[in-house]
Amino acid sequence: METTKFADDFTVDELISVCIARQIANGELIVQGLATPLVMAGYILAKLTHAPDVLFASAIGQSLCRGWAPPSLSHAEAMWLDKALITFGFTRVATELLPRFRPKEFFRPAQVDPYGNTNNVFIGQDYHRPRLRLPGSGGIADVTTYGDQAYLYVPRHSRIVFVERLDFRSGLGHHPARKRGRGPRYLVSDLGQFDFEGPEGRMRLVTLHPGVTLRRVQRKTGFPLEVAPDLHETPPPTAEEVHLLREVVDPLGIRRLELLSGQARRQMLREILARESGGA
Amino acid sequence: MMATGERDGQTPPSEGGAGASPGDKRISLAEAAALVQEGDTLALGGLTLYRRPVAFVRALLRRPDPPRHLTLLALTAGFESDLLVGAGLVERVRTCYFGLEVFGLAPMFTQAAGEGRLTIVEETEASIAFGLRATLAGVSFMPGLGWLGTEMLSVRPDVKVVQDPYGEGEYVAFPAIACDVAVLHALRADREGNAVLGGNLGIDQELAMAARRVIVTAEEVVERLDEPLDLAGLVVDGVVPAPRGAWPTSCYPFYPLDGEALLRYVEACPVHFADYLDAWLRGDDE
Repeated sequence: METTKFADDFTVDELISVCIARQIANGELIVQGLATPLVMAGYILAKLTHAPDVLFASAIGQSLCRGWAPPSLSHAEAMWLDKALITFGFTRVATELLPRFRPKEFFRPAQVDPYGNTNNVFIGQDYHRPRLRLPGSGGIADVTTYGDQAYLYVPRHSRIVFVERLDFRSGLGHHPARKRGRGPRYLVSDLGQFDFEGPEGRMRLVTLHPGVTLRRVQRKTGFPLEVAPDLHETPPPTAEEVHLLREVVDPLGIRRLELLSGQARRQMLREILARESGGA
Repeated sequence: MMATGERDGQTPPSEGGAGASPGDKRISLAEAAALVQEGDTLALGGLTLYRRPVAFVRALLRRPDPPRHLTLLALTAGFESDLLVGAGLVERVRTCYFGLEVFGLAPMFTQAAGEGRLTIVEETEASIAFGLRATLAGVSFMPGLGWLGTEMLSVRPDVKVVQDPYGEGEYVAFPAIACDVAVLHALRADREGNAVLGGNLGIDQELAMAARRVIVTAEEVVERLDEPLDLAGLVVDGVVPAPRGAWPTSCYPFYPLDGEALLRYVEACPVHFADYLDAWLRGDDE
């Protein structure tokens, strides 16, 4: 057997995308929501490595695609329209495609509780006077109640995201009120990977990313962590995975936007936009 | 065959002008904007940053007496909707996502919601999709999966849960969604309102079927389209030529998203919204 060559240097965005890619099985239908380039990079990486026969579906374009193109800010529709095998429109996606096929999708929660319930609606104590109104739940309040393929990712692990009690439950996790489906199976953050195999579907730390300590994860998590008995280190990206991400899958590095905020993110947006328009 | 009496046999929205011959529905942007009345539910087609009817929104905001107390309906709401909220035209918002994707939160929506100045009718993809389907089918609701076990029902006390009449389960009865005026931006249209929308359809086709009045703005308006249509002129009341009418959102494949313009917006707002809006209405940012 050939020895895997691990990358000598990699960044955390690359590690998250690689972790996402490793959750994809060949032949699956996988769905991408709005503004989730870390996920898209992971999906494409999976297609180029172990899952050549995946079918992509996306909120943008509402199409199914076998082919792919690198993510783009200015031409976000290009992949989904140029490579479309068929387009459905959003009404059919929401009422037919998603309930019928219940595909795998990665969601990014603004808050997540120990049982994988999530919030993307508001932060604060009063819905009518929120401390921070969020964009909204999209389709998360729909598909998490009946599907069984919800996966979660958190680009910036903190006590603001990982909370003991949600301010609002817009995504259903492992919760006693559940009637159909099952809660999330998996979560990846910038610190580690988790499953929900703890008591009553409680989140459990399974791997620590290279260089991350258990103490650090616990300090940045707003509830006591369950830890898998065989806690180990996340296998780092291979040299080939890092090469593909940087040179082929997402050469503009759009996935990195998800780890930035405020001025730093706007700066990077400007750099990417300039490169897309052929500038500096 | 018409769903409502408004469409057939009544005076078209425009008289005279270019659209004098029968079946010619061409009107100006200003005439289109004049169709929206105080308190209407106004639906905007497209998706977040893609193919939004931005030129129409500008015309609406340029009205000397812009209509207020609007209910804004969109599958996802972005830049164009944030302008309407910032300018104080919107009383209620019905959408499942209001934001600018990787460009950030929608600043005026976020501020108005935080101050409790907006009524938010919390929606999801399924509640909007089933709600439109209910309207089209002429029934008061469509049952669907979704919401059960979440707290969505606590912020939507108007939405009821029904027993499966044939089995054991429960479903959410997503209520029919009504709409006064729907505005969609097309790649091409002809003077009868037949239109090509491109592949990124969103919920445009259902909005057009559900709305009392439908306005199509288009990059190009031709005499007669001779290609597969996304929208039949049958349901369209007014057609407006609006080249670059989705800018700064994209109109694939004609022009890309103008990310720099969006960055200028998020950097100016909410603090300098009034100045931004003045300049934008003058056309300084084009």
